[in-house]
Amino acid sequence: MLSFFRFIARHTAYLLFLLYCGISLLLMQLQRKETIDAIRTKGLAVNASIAEQISYFNDLVNLREDNEHLLLQNAKLFSRVMSQETALRDARSLNAIAAKDAAPNGRFLVARIVDRRFSPTDNVLVINSGSNQGIVKDMAVLTPDGLVGRVTTVSGNYARVMPVINKDFKVSVVSDSTSTLGVLSWKDGNVDMAHLENVPASSRIKVGERLTTSDHSTFALRGIPVGRVAKISKGKLFSDIDVRLAVDFSSLSYVLVARAMPSGEKLDIMNGDEGGKVQEQQRK
Amino acid sequence: MFKKIFLSSISIVVLAFLQHFVFSNLVILGASPDILAVFIAFASVTIGQRTGTTFGFASGLIVGILSGNIGLSALIGTVEGFVAGFFHVSEESHPTLTKKRRMFYSASLTSIAIGNLLLALMNNPMALPLYYRIPSMVVIGTLMNIFLTVLMYQLALKKTMRD
Repeated sequence: MLSFFRFIARHTAYLLFLLYCGISLLLMQLQRKETIDAIRTKGLAVNASIAEQISYFNDLVNLREDNEHLLLQNAKLFSRVMSQETALRDARSLNAIAAKDAAPNGRFLVARIVDRRFSPTDNVLVINSGSNQGIVKDMAVLTPDGLVGRVTTVSGNYARVMPVINKDFKVSVVSDSTSTLGVLSWKDGNVDMAHLENVPASSRIKVGERLTTSDHSTFALRGIPVGRVAKISKGKLFSDIDVRLAVDFSSLSYVLVARAMPSGEKLDIMNGDEGGKVQEQQRK
Repeated sequence: MFKKIFLSSISIVVLAFLQHFVFSNLVILGASPDILAVFIAFASVTIGQRTGTTFGFASGLIVGILSGNIGLSALIGTVEGFVAGFFHVSEESHPTLTKKRRMFYSASLTSIAIGNLLLALMNNPMALPLYYRIPSMVVIGTLMNIFLTVLMYQLALKKTMRD
């Protein structure tokens, strides 16, 4: 008996090896049995859940790249939609050919908002594109949802944007179906709402009408969505109109900057500087 | 010794998960690095054949449960641990670091080659011919793991072996 135990003690490694090999071979034979199958199923569930977490992490790592790719694609599609909508509007008003030159050329720069100062009366955005990327002062900043603001200051790689929800911001807008013109501005601290000014009380503008930038704008091309009429209060001469803005400023992270701007000649005339350049051109 | 076995047991579990989720996906010319086999060889050389064989069996079980091939993984792990155990260096003989390193490399080379050969012979899910499986899994797999062995020794195991 003692010699038996001595034998076992001396050859434990071999016995263990045989035991483990036996168990392994048994497990291989019982692969299809219910108990082993249940263990395998549980193992695969653990495997799948961990693999899903790993793939989720990989997705997170690639999210920024995917997001930028989607934004570029979105910008292209948005420019197409905008040109088509503008052309449609032009066709309706029998002015398509004349307006073609002013139609958006569909070229946008994608920029990320890197800083934002927000207070009830002041709101400024900083984007990560500047003069090196082709940004100049007074370019319109937008998202596929609508107008965000205008570029006010440009450095090499950054630009400051005055958003619609800034007390100094104004833009000329036109309503969709009744073609009512007005000037949109922001007065109070509500980030969803703006006011439409200079609309005569006799206007036929209705609640729910969509407002887009008009030809009268000094920085934005026409056709950029701005918001919808939310409430109309008729006064003696002018209506007091509340507008629900199209862009959700609380969740902005990327914006598009429209490279195309209204022609300088038009701006000169609008500003009353028709003397110099226009006359010179007529002479030519 | 118990501390060494305890730490190695934890390492085996962590490395089994790493092996399954990371290293098994790095397939180069039909072979993938086997960090677990290298560690089992290390455990067999430094702790002993019995512990190495048990570690090999346990790690094979974990990988097998995760991959769905329980028996085969356990068998290969057991064989690798057992074979590497023949290169065990007893601390009582006061071996030099060079001897330990030499034995570790030999254990790793032998156990991985035999493990890969077993795998090539017993597992063929892609129905590849034997003349392709043997060179790709055994030769390339072993060469790749020798490189991994040197890397692991220099980066982490050298310090443990010196202690």
